[in-house]
Amino acid sequence: MDLGFLNNLIDGFIAAGSLNNLFFCLIGCMLGTLIGVLPGIGPIPTIAMLLPVTYGLGPLTSLIMLAGIYYGAQYGGSTTSILVNMPGEASSVVTCIDGHQMAKQGRAGAALGVAALGSFFAGCVGTVFIAAFGPPLAAFAQKFSSPEYFALMVLGLVTAVVMAHGSLVKAVAMILIGLLFGLIGTDVNTGVQRFTFGVEELWDGMDFLPMVIGMFGIVEIIKNLEGPEVARQAMSTRIRDLWPSLQDFKDSWKAVLRGTLSGSLLGIVPGGGVVLASFAAYTIEKKLAKDPSRFGKGAIEGVAGPESANNAASQTSFIPLLTLGLPSNAIMALMMGAMMIQGIAPGSAVMQTRPDLFWGMVASMWIGNLMLVIINMPMIGLWVKLLSVPYRLLYPAIIMFCMIGIYSTSSSFVQIVLTAIFTGFGYLLLRLDCEPAPLILGFILGPLMEENLRRSMVLSRGDPMIFFSRPISATLLVLALIVVALIVLPQFRKTREVAFVED
Amino acid sequence: MIKVKSPRDFGAGLLFILIGLGGFWFGRNLNIGIASRMGPGYFPMMLSGLIAALGLLVMIKSFAIDGPEIEKPQLRPLFFIVLSMLAFGYLIERIGLAFSVAVMIIIATFARRAKFDIKETLLLAIGMGVFAVFVFIYGLGQTLPAWWGK
Repeated sequence: MDLGFLNNLIDGFIAAGSLNNLFFCLIGCMLGTLIGVLPGIGPIPTIAMLLPVTYGLGPLTSLIMLAGIYYGAQYGGSTTSILVNMPGEASSVVTCIDGHQMAKQGRAGAALGVAALGSFFAGCVGTVFIAAFGPPLAAFAQKFSSPEYFALMVLGLVTAVVMAHGSLVKAVAMILIGLLFGLIGTDVNTGVQRFTFGVEELWDGMDFLPMVIGMFGIVEIIKNLEGPEVARQAMSTRIRDLWPSLQDFKDSWKAVLRGTLSGSLLGIVPGGGVVLASFAAYTIEKKLAKDPSRFGKGAIEGVAGPESANNAASQTSFIPLLTLGLPSNAIMALMMGAMMIQGIAPGSAVMQTRPDLFWGMVASMWIGNLMLVIINMPMIGLWVKLLSVPYRLLYPAIIMFCMIGIYSTSSSFVQIVLTAIFTGFGYLLLRLDCEPAPLILGFILGPLMEENLRRSMVLSRGDPMIFFSRPISATLLVLALIVVALIVLPQFRKTREVAFVED
Repeated sequence: MIKVKSPRDFGAGLLFILIGLGGFWFGRNLNIGIASRMGPGYFPMMLSGLIAALGLLVMIKSFAIDGPEIEKPQLRPLFFIVLSMLAFGYLIERIGLAFSVAVMIIIATFARRAKFDIKETLLLAIGMGVFAVFVFIYGLGQTLPAWWGK
């Protein structure tokens, strides 16, 4: 392997190490931890909400901050899982199982310590993963032209569907609806307006902020308000020493390694990401354990594995976005949106044209992980206190942040009305069991897919066989077909259902 | 007599069909073109067709396979939250950030089923209004009308 990436990585550390970038990295990590701790608001609406704030920052600074929110949320989520038995994020649902049991046995410190150190280790490995695999992948992607990109997007979307939970047909439909929504606005090739209904605000395409905030942020609040108010009570036991004992280390280091590896791999797969990674890691640990009956009763491996896995995955899920321009999940789609707002087209070209951006971001992830360990260990007490803020005071504040975020980007009532419409749409989807995340993916990719399809068809004079006559695009499409074939197989279907049953 | 066995799937199928048909209807004036020279209507029509087809599939499935009932929607949270958002958007140009935030928060509190606590609500509304002005206008330098509108 070419070790030139080490030099680049050093340049990245220099870029990310500027006082300004360190500051926003810290802000991102803290905000991430905060939303990770608070149930009822996830990283998707938070990143969407904070996008307007980043418009004024430089591209690298804003990406550093947004990435910090994302992986910071994984840290925060584990804290509440262990102490309160309430996962702040979907990715820490499994951490509750054994983490909270450990806390009940008075070993909260060990659980939190192992979760933090495992996450830090996984974060470091994830960073190296990106640094090592990013450049070759990007170089490979340089050979891509329109047919390959189209095939790649098809593969990405198909895989994302398989990995999503719930009905497959519905997930496909949601992606297609997202693609269709993505086409709203003026057609770049002909200047014709499509689906704009005479609304001036839609001429440049629909902003994704109202859509994301409506469908994810506001609908989440409404969902929480429909249920009974839950009292959140933290463990009364004092968290004495956060440092795990030597025995804890011995028990958990293998789980950390396995979690890191599986998480790193699952992070790269489109549609994979953090939730799947933590579930998979838990299953692996339980399968490999000499005495599986300990699981659910405070097995430290059940904390170490998933926590390492979700953090590793949160890092490596940047790989397809930064190298191929393909967002692998809804959060990466938002990051892609953030990059496009800054005038950067994500993809293989970024590494050539803006190496500081790629390497600076990679370096910032390592720095951010270090910050999280150092800051969060002593601050756990404060985070737990925050949990006692009742939801009735919290949700009006969340709505306020969402609304100001949307209004400040456009100063237009229309965007608020759009948010309201998407709130209604998202609520309808919730009632009809349609997972909205694939829609975001489609929405971001819509215009790109159309453009690449168009160009391919111009190249081939309208012959769709072009996708199969070029080796790379043919391989990608065959892979997509294999994935589709797998879904239809009853054996695989069963495994998939089982995999998501613990949800 | 055919019976809907899975109401949620039936609803989803119907929704997809409507979106697909909507795509056709609102895009009816877009030129489709030919494959080698796609018009602005080509891709949208393709998508609309696929969405409607999938909707039909989901709907047919709903007659065959059992599924859960659609949960009865509770209109209270939905109504008041959306109303609070719209009120904010409508009022901010007219009465400024601080007051529109306060109004939004007061309306949003009605979304809960629990008893209305006047003191707490007013405190929260005033506190948030002032907080918003200091953080977003003085702190982050956003160009929003602060106190009284433009």
